[in-house]
Amino acid sequence: MKQFNIFGNLENQEEKKYTTKIESPIYEPKNQKPHIMELYDNQKTRRLIREIDLSTLPIEEKMFLIDAARRHTVFNYEKVADYYAHSSKEMQEFMERSALVIVDFEKAIQHGFVKMCDDIKKQYLEEYE
Amino acid sequence: MNDFAVFILTHGRADNVITFKTLKKCGYTGPVYLVIDNEDKMTNEYIKNFGEENVKIFDKKKMADSIDEGNNFDNRKVIIHARNACFEIAKELGIKYFIQLDDDYYYFGYRYDTGAKIIKNLDEVFRIVFDFYKNSNITSIALSQGGDHIGGFSGIKLKRKCMNSFFCSTDRPFQFIGSINEDVNTYTTLGSRGHVFFTFTNLQLDQKDTQSNKGGMTDQYHLSGTYVKSFHTVMMQPNSVKVSMMNSNHPRLHHSINWKETTPMIIDQKYKIQ
Repeated sequence: MKQFNIFGNLENQEEKKYTTKIESPIYEPKNQKPHIMELYDNQKTRRLIREIDLSTLPIEEKMFLIDAARRHTVFNYEKVADYYAHSSKEMQEFMERSALVIVDFEKAIQHGFVKMCDDIKKQYLEEYE
Repeated sequence: MNDFAVFILTHGRADNVITFKTLKKCGYTGPVYLVIDNEDKMTNEYIKNFGEENVKIFDKKKMADSIDEGNNFDNRKVIIHARNACFEIAKELGIKYFIQLDDDYYYFGYRYDTGAKIIKNLDEVFRIVFDFYKNSNITSIALSQGGDHIGGFSGIKLKRKCMNSFFCSTDRPFQFIGSINEDVNTYTTLGSRGHVFFTFTNLQLDQKDTQSNKGGMTDQYHLSGTYVKSFHTVMMQPNSVKVSMMNSNHPRLHHSINWKETTPMIIDQKYKIQ
């Protein structure tokens, strides 16, 4: 027979303590390849570049400002990862070199994370059981 | 682990290094080094309290001249110099792995749905985290902070931020940037370029509230409020970080990060065409 008290079901509470949700850090790309224009928003960058171009500044200053303006381009890294998953080998390699995605080789992060959680749980139980 | 040590980064608090006591309370038995700068007026007290061999002093001005402080304030009452000095100090000591801690932690705990419980064997917990760190080629990983769990525990996960406590290796050096908000500046800018930083929510540390503990960075925050602090990160990562209001015991301006637009996704190797 299960035990009950005013604070609820003790057995369920014990169970809950060890079944905390574990969320993987790995992103699962979607099945559909997004349009490349969905990956980034460069409106502010283009506006700045247009104004820089129209200015009377010397060319080397313009070049500096134009490179700096690119810092305002917003990337949607979920869409970027979706795009990567449906791209050619050559495109994938450039995307990796530019760190637009991080490939979890041999599931080092995914499996390592699960092992770390298991080991911490064992240590916790050793200290508190 | 014999190639590992704890570094406590401290300034002007020789008689109040709370983290040192907390480490012992939580069962840590390994080496601890106090990292101080050569402009600290309490150098003698640190040496007296912790022993000369355990106090590592670095040249703050020299470090300031070699890094990107992100401003021209010429204010060295900040922690970034100590953070960057740790890699060199570890090399000199012949230590490959180290964790950087602030000096005001009063708690290290496990964190589950049911709340936090104090860690009794921190040696083993550090070993477990370093096992993950060594095998996954990430840049750094941190323990979560009490503030990460405001509103309730949202599960065991690896957040892409990395603050306060940094597990590091001399063979994966990186440079902290921006004289204040250096941790956020670093994990956002380097994170956007492919470095992987994590916070592990299954473990938690707690420290004195920002701006309530005398010494350390507190004077700096009182001087400029947190607007200047937060805005350093906006300067460095203008496409995905904003400044917004954070309500807590001490309401203040704070950085607001759009994560989807800051760090590239980590994906399984199966999506890569071989």
